[in-house]
Amino acid sequence: MNDTRPFPSETDIHAWVDGRMDVAGCVRMEAWLASNLRRAEEIRGWQRDAQQLRAALGGLPPAAGQRTLDPTMIRARRRRRVRARIAMAAVLVLTLGVGMVGGWQARRMAAPAASAPMADALQAYRMFASNRHLNLDVTQHEPGQLQGWLRQHFRNAPRLPDLDGAGFHPVGARLLATDSGPAAMVLYQNAEGGAISFYIRPPSPSHGVLPRGQRRDGQLVATYWSGNGYNYALVSPVNASDVRVIREAAFPPSI
Amino acid sequence: MRDPTFSDDQLRELLPRLRRFARWLTRDADSADDLVQATLERALIRWGSRRDDAALRAWLFSIAYRQFIDDKRRARRHALMLELLGRSAPAEQASVEREVVAQSVVQALERLPDEQRHLLLWVSVEGLSYCEVADLLDIPIGTVMSRLSRARSALRRLGDGEVPRTTVLRLLK
Repeated sequence: MNDTRPFPSETDIHAWVDGRMDVAGCVRMEAWLASNLRRAEEIRGWQRDAQQLRAALGGLPPAAGQRTLDPTMIRARRRRRVRARIAMAAVLVLTLGVGMVGGWQARRMAAPAASAPMADALQAYRMFASNRHLNLDVTQHEPGQLQGWLRQHFRNAPRLPDLDGAGFHPVGARLLATDSGPAAMVLYQNAEGGAISFYIRPPSPSHGVLPRGQRRDGQLVATYWSGNGYNYALVSPVNASDVRVIREAAFPPSI
Repeated sequence: MRDPTFSDDQLRELLPRLRRFARWLTRDADSADDLVQATLERALIRWGSRRDDAALRAWLFSIAYRQFIDDKRRARRHALMLELLGRSAPAEQASVEREVVAQSVVQALERLPDEQRHLLLWVSVEGLSYCEVADLLDIPIGTVMSRLSRARSALRRLGDGEVPRTTVLRLLK
């Protein structure tokens, strides 16, 4: 069958050049080259070029820098990025959520209220304190966990306010987005299921450093202050059993 | 069940060749490693059945090549945008081959269009089979053959008249 086809085919020639031809083929090829001197000169040149390329460029890159490309490292980096993406997705969902709640609130409340200090802290409380664990990014299983989480997301993160005196303990937190950067809400709960939230956010263009203060908004009261480059608020229902403890947590005598 | 340690070892073993393949494409060591990283990330996601080494190599190369083509397209769009904005695109990166002690055939190779240069490197240096090249470029094997002929003739013409030298070649890093 082979003999009916013209020899050598283009594939035969390359196979010979690249040393991929069987012995019988090579014998046949050499015979053909011997009687076709002009083509032979070119084809032998191809072979010489290929050998020289192999000699010149056949070396492998130095191993320096290869460690970062190890599958284990790649996997670890990927895991980190996926986690970051999930956090980002949560933030986006939340932005939409807060946007919607914000829109709803703005419709319900007088417009100036939306731009009052720490309006977003109150919105976040309304959104998450009523939905609790459903919407939290992280829940505390052991003491200090949320403090660590906060430190991970906020440089110079402050100590979480201590509301033990009022019977409230941190249970979970949620990363949020503001127009000035990431914010977070840490949810505290007491044995009766009451909720207080601690809110941290970067200062906004309209509200830079906040003087210590408190304001009421509907059934909620926000106690706010600034420090470490962030604005904070503790949000609780107006009828919270121990407003004094909250005030003390927000404005400890040492500050 | 697949043994993941074995798979990782397979990948590790192929890593130097994948890096070299990427350097041929990007002609710059740093962007080459970026390309390798992107390739491995994709490979680790899509890692399905265990492959033998040859198939794994071809598979990794094809991921790297497609990624490279995508990146290049993006870069071209970016350059076009810069042009529209009246700024010039950054100059092309220095080539890895240029770091090799000069030799006529390497110099000739450098002057070939990318398509021909890649083909010669893949076949002559990396030793990819004609079938693998056809798959990589998504073209019929006959086209691989005719392109290879054209590339070899072009290289011959550019390097013509040069007596093969015996200079010891080394990569300068």
